[in-house]
Amino acid sequence: MRRLSIALAAALLCGCAAYAPPQAWEKQYLARPEMQFDYDRLDAKNVQHVYVSKEGAGGGYGVGGGGCGCN
Amino acid sequence: MPRVRVSFRAMAAEHEIVVDHDDERGAREAIDAAIADVRRIEAKFSRYRDDSVTGAIARAAGGAPVAIDDETAALLAYAATCHALSEGAFDATSGVLRRAWDFRAQPPRLPDRSAIAALLPLVDWTAVERTPTTVRLPRPGMQLDFGGIGKEYAADRAAGLIAARGVRHALVNLGGDMRAIGGQADGTPWRIGIRHPRPGPDRPAAIAWVELADAALATSGDYERCFEIDGVRYSHILDARTGWPVRHWQSVSVLAPLAVVAGSCATIAMLLCERAPAFLAGQAVAWLGVDGAGVLRGTLAP
Amino acid sequence: MAATERVAGPGALVAAALALPGVALSPAAQAQSAPDAAFVQFKYLDYRDWQGGGRRMRVDSPGFYAVKPLSDSLVVEGSLVYDGMSGASPLYFNALSGASGEGVRDYRTAGDAKVTKYFERFAVGVGGAYSHERDYISRAGTVEVRAWTQDRNRTYAFAFSGAADRIHTESGAADRESKYVLDFLAGVTQVVNPTLIVQSNVTYSRGHGYFTDPYKLLDRRPDHRRVLAWLTRANQHFPDSGGTLKAAYRYLDDSFGADSHMLEAAWHQSLPQGWSVTPSLRYLSQKAAWFFYGPPVGSGLRPGQPYTADARLSAFGALTPGILVAKQLDDGWVVDLKVEYYQQKSSWKLGGEGSEGILPLSARWIQLGVGRSF
Repeated sequence: MRRLSIALAAALLCGCAAYAPPQAWEKQYLARPEMQFDYDRLDAKNVQHVYVSKEGAGGGYGVGGGGCGCN
Repeated sequence: MPRVRVSFRAMAAEHEIVVDHDDERGAREAIDAAIADVRRIEAKFSRYRDDSVTGAIARAAGGAPVAIDDETAALLAYAATCHALSEGAFDATSGVLRRAWDFRAQPPRLPDRSAIAALLPLVDWTAVERTPTTVRLPRPGMQLDFGGIGKEYAADRAAGLIAARGVRHALVNLGGDMRAIGGQADGTPWRIGIRHPRPGPDRPAAIAWVELADAALATSGDYERCFEIDGVRYSHILDARTGWPVRHWQSVSVLAPLAVVAGSCATIAMLLCERAPAFLAGQAVAWLGVDGAGVLRGTLAP
Repeated sequence: MAATERVAGPGALVAAALALPGVALSPAAQAQSAPDAAFVQFKYLDYRDWQGGGRRMRVDSPGFYAVKPLSDSLVVEGSLVYDGMSGASPLYFNALSGASGEGVRDYRTAGDAKVTKYFERFAVGVGGAYSHERDYISRAGTVEVRAWTQDRNRTYAFAFSGAADRIHTESGAADRESKYVLDFLAGVTQVVNPTLIVQSNVTYSRGHGYFTDPYKLLDRRPDHRRVLAWLTRANQHFPDSGGTLKAAYRYLDDSFGADSHMLEAAWHQSLPQGWSVTPSLRYLSQKAAWFFYGPPVGSGLRPGQPYTADARLSAFGALTPGILVAKQLDDGWVVDLKVEYYQQKSSWKLGGEGSEGILPLSARWIQLGVGRSF
């Protein structure tokens, strides 16, 4: 039940923002590197590897990295 | 990725084209093709040249219809749309008012009311007789000019010619009217500074910065050609219905998908004065205006 | 006679302008969304952790990443990472005396490569990964498909990956064991408005084989594991300040029982001259695996039943404050330095009930990176 309310809260937060998908000429901010999700892949790889080796499990970011002996 | 930057002069102003492209020679060829088209448009539509199409149309005013090609007909149709959307304030026949307003005279002088009154009958877009292949100005002395449309049209065409050669990062800047293809090669957008309408020693050169990616930016300001008498500024942006300059915005900058739209919206916004925000909202563009007090307004204002 | 034009409505000028010859909207001519610039990057990660006041593990990890367009629609990318590990392997709980503290020195080399082909409205990627340690080899293959709407404001992603791992320790604890894992991903990315982009991914991992840690006494884990993770993240840009808020929440459901909630937030602040600074904070709260038993050693152990005393599968909360400083130089060069500090404590678990008797674990890592686009 708590999981459901957290998920709903996340969806609501998104709903608070104005829904106005931009036209091609309004995408100048989206072009910025910090607005992209996978801009620095090597950093994400390193950081997720550290967390997977120190915590129970990882996931959600992507698939395909293979395994390691660290967990 | 190599960057090629070419500056050139046309239409009595400085222009610049910047291209990021792997193939440097291809980039220069694309830029050359774009510059050639800009000069072609200048020659064809310049009001300062007798051999231009606008010159031929002006000389035939009061006489027979003049045959025009598809490009001229399309530009006239666009000018008609601008006239309709600006409640008649934007008028492609208003160029004759230049005979009364001399912005280079020293000392600056206001025109006689009678001079304006004599010219106003020649300012009448609704009287222009257009067919898809001809145009006729019914009264002798009338003339057409594409100010606010021509340079911006050239910028859009230049961008198209460059993009057609596979270039994905370019900025065409014709006298301050810009059209960007993509952003810069490093992934960041093109950053454009908007000129401060009242520059001074303790003021930044740019009053604001706008980021462009696949978009166009044009600015219309009361400082481009103007004079001041007794502290009142008279600019070259004349209301076609009165023959006198508008006085509300120091400048309006418009961000739109096309340079020709950005340019005409900026000019129309200057002409509509306090009705500009409603007009711009209806055109679904982004804009930044500097009002008479120097305050920033518009969707791009902080 | 002149016709009176009657046009109205948003975009009336755009419609009229498109009738002009040679005038077209921008990216109409270019349907490709494939990147057209090559990028090469080198990063060095310096990692250290401590538990119970004693210095424990150290990893030095240089890594390399490159992406290169092969044509207008074909892109290849790959990375190579080398981990040099030294120090003691993790203590399973606070039995400092007599517990494993012996030095470990191991090396891991991992590489992966992917080729992506771009079409007008979708892209297909195929990749492989290989990782080699003294006692562990992993091989994986991935297929991913991304498809987007005409206006590129929404992208759907689907990916599938299969990995085959082989574990063989000299001590004989793991004698030619294997582990097979299938991973699936389904995700959506939506541009909500010109300053907000949101992504939500669900990953499902199903593995069977050898999950036990061969270096821990009495460690024996189930031979299958299913992990479901749901990650939602958003980037919100604020043009006035030049700052961007980046936030993420992930819920993870693990058949081992180590379910977790993760929340992270960062603020990217653009500064003049190409500088930027990004402070960040991450919080994770994890439940203990159902077969985790805290000290004393062996309590709860029943013959034939899974058992672990590994702190990584205990119940805890972990906090990572961090900061990243970056500078974009001329000519496509970019340099960045990131420092993060990690603390894992049973008392920080959300709702209490952290595993008792586990010493807090601390870690810090520094990552220096240099990259260049061409």
